[in-house]
Amino acid sequence: MTQPLNGLKIIEIGGTVSVSAAGKKFSDFGANVIKIEPPSVSDVRKIAPFPDDIFHIDKGAVHLAFDTSKRSIVIDHLTNSGKEIIQRLGKDADLIIMDIPVTEAQDLINIFKDGDNLLTNVVTITPHGMTGPYKDRVENDLTLFGWSTRSHRHSIAGREPLRYGPYAGVVQIGSTAAAVGMAAVWSKRNEGMNRLVDVSGVEALMGNVDSGFFLWAVNGALQPRSAGQSSGLYPSGAYKCKDGYMLFSAGRDPVYSRLCNAIGRPDLATDKRFTDPEEKPKNFEIFKKILEDWLATRTKYEAFDELQEQGVMCCPVLDASELENDPQSVYRKSYITRNQDGIGDITIAGPPFRMNGLYSDAWESKPAPNLSEHTTEILQEHGYGTQEIIALFRAGVTT
Amino acid sequence: MSNKSLEGLKILEMTEAWAGPVCASLMGDMGADVIKIESFPRHSLTRPTSPRYATMPGEGPVYERDALHHQGNRNKRNMAIDIRKESGKEIFKKLLLDADVFIEGYAAGKIEKLGFGWQDVQKINPNITMISIAGWGLEGPYKNMVTLGAGLDATTGHLSLRGYPQGDFVDTHPNFHSDATGSSTIFFAALTALLQRKKEKKGTFIDLSQWEGLVWQFPAILAEWTMNKRIPERLGNNDPHIVPHGVYRTIEEDKWIVVAAEDDNQWQGLCEVIGKIEWTDLMHQYSNIVGRIKGRTEIDAAIESFTKQYDGFTAAEILQNNHVIASPVVTPPDVLLSNQLHERDWHQTVNHKWTGPIMVGGHLWNVEPDTLSWDIPTALVGQHNEEILTELGFDHDYISALYANGTIGNHYEN
Repeated sequence: MTQPLNGLKIIEIGGTVSVSAAGKKFSDFGANVIKIEPPSVSDVRKIAPFPDDIFHIDKGAVHLAFDTSKRSIVIDHLTNSGKEIIQRLGKDADLIIMDIPVTEAQDLINIFKDGDNLLTNVVTITPHGMTGPYKDRVENDLTLFGWSTRSHRHSIAGREPLRYGPYAGVVQIGSTAAAVGMAAVWSKRNEGMNRLVDVSGVEALMGNVDSGFFLWAVNGALQPRSAGQSSGLYPSGAYKCKDGYMLFSAGRDPVYSRLCNAIGRPDLATDKRFTDPEEKPKNFEIFKKILEDWLATRTKYEAFDELQEQGVMCCPVLDASELENDPQSVYRKSYITRNQDGIGDITIAGPPFRMNGLYSDAWESKPAPNLSEHTTEILQEHGYGTQEIIALFRAGVTT
Repeated sequence: MSNKSLEGLKILEMTEAWAGPVCASLMGDMGADVIKIESFPRHSLTRPTSPRYATMPGEGPVYERDALHHQGNRNKRNMAIDIRKESGKEIFKKLLLDADVFIEGYAAGKIEKLGFGWQDVQKINPNITMISIAGWGLEGPYKNMVTLGAGLDATTGHLSLRGYPQGDFVDTHPNFHSDATGSSTIFFAALTALLQRKKEKKGTFIDLSQWEGLVWQFPAILAEWTMNKRIPERLGNNDPHIVPHGVYRTIEEDKWIVVAAEDDNQWQGLCEVIGKIEWTDLMHQYSNIVGRIKGRTEIDAAIESFTKQYDGFTAAEILQNNHVIASPVVTPPDVLLSNQLHERDWHQTVNHKWTGPIMVGGHLWNVEPDTLSWDIPTALVGQHNEEILTELGFDHDYISALYANGTIGNHYEN
């Protein structure tokens, strides 16, 4: 089987959620991804849940999902011996992605420089970037979200701002790093030029959409921190139905009119109480009661089918227990089950995109490696002899 | 787009809203020649013809001044073509001939009806990569269903996890996380296909379900169920294994700060700052993480007693100087208070015909040696019609006829 990224060599350094998510993009499409982990245990391996709530360095759910199809080697990158290994591993790599503190990253960049000449592509992921007065600050998923303006909007005025789901921010940062890393790989394959890419987590989150800065900067508008259900441009937000909730994005025409028809109230589509921009907010509770009465007699899947038949933008709010059996997931095999040594069958998400057909073999998720599973194998591949490998272990450079 | 990483690539983008357009802008940032094929005569979702909250000040048509449109459409050229007309199809076929990537965002089946499904496109250009980004993909029982990013979020389990603990779903904001993350996934997909083309010497079709592009990012949500048969709780900002890990009030009304201490060293730094050094004594119950988890409420109260004395930026600086994880909860205007972003020249000033100079957010990444720049402000509808049609070999008279018969345009009717 030939996968699209067969032949690429990617070095991933740091063991964080961000860099693991970035590496996964490459590894499942066939790249040779070497995961360099610190002796202190990668953060991604520490995150719950674990099977039966028993922690294990090789069994954390986030590690099992994000480290698929990679090989693991432990190297202490702070030591000269460790840097020498990384230099040898990286010299023929297409890309090195690292998520480590700025001073450590700068040290590693330097080993890939010959004067001003960069010997391979390097992407650094740091909270605030490689330069500037905040470059050495220590942040996590929660604080990065705080910086992004998204926490502020994800709240109700006067109440505590909220993050999204745990690690949503740092995964987005990793996905961003993978994208620009891929551009560097493409360019290197075309013109042989290497680039140094500086991904600041704050800038990656704030510069993308779903941030409130752009809108404010260009017209001074602050998005309201009201309740989830919009009382101005409705229905928008979650509404209760017989067995759960439906999420609507149906406040504007033509979708609003389709909704009115679908619930058997075409008169509401032209009723000025609900169409006049000044009157509409005053009559929110009236409309809400009408819609909730209609939803109360239907399950979320029944309402989904009926409303979507009329082109109404709405979706059932699903919880974790419903994901695998959702009809679309089942049809597309959006989740896959595979065997993981020491655990048995586990279920993870399938490909983020489908190349050359729904079920092609362009994407394949192989088991996530146990910690240091491939240390000896990788060192041998790169020319280290048996006694040298033992010496590195004895010196604490590898484990 | 002074950066030349993707120089030589020709990208055709026929998408609306955010995920597709932002992806194409990112490619434009890196030197690709991106041509946005604007819907015509129907205007897109982000080009409303009546003023709304996102309308930017200035003169000229409202649809040229929508912030949500500007946010996702830098560094592109723009054509407005009615591809339902045969004359419009003729133009688009010529564009496809030497294009490298075609990204389309129609609902499943629509592009086939217009004559540009994969079977048609690969006959025109066997080397092209075509990416369809329908919400749930092109196959499956939901393929014809309509959604925005907020709906996709609801069906990944993410919405069920967001929001206030013990809160109601009706209080949880819809979000557009899938648009923010989808752009980089489409970007990655396009280049994956182009690398494959180098080996196989032929083009590729990609069915990119934005739902699938989102759901892989939440492995812990699914695993709580598949591993332990639990539905994850809504925790707000809490982490069950880290204390403190929360958002706290500052001296300013409804302004907040994030504080966390993930290990004993950060805890030591925090206690020194908030005047609770006794909490680090080995014999004190809070000197270890197990004790801190039991004392979350008291610890949170002590932290807030400190943070309420300062504004968020000042408190965060004091805490960070003692190696504690801390950040202000930044509002959009607060972004301008960040010395870091100023030092890195992150903000950009762009001059647009109808808005004049505007300050906008910067790029998602920095590159050396060829840095990024915002060279082409968001293009006007049909701004590059003549330029591109001339490149394709159409003459002036024919282009005039295309305007006259409504095949192309450079304005929308209100």
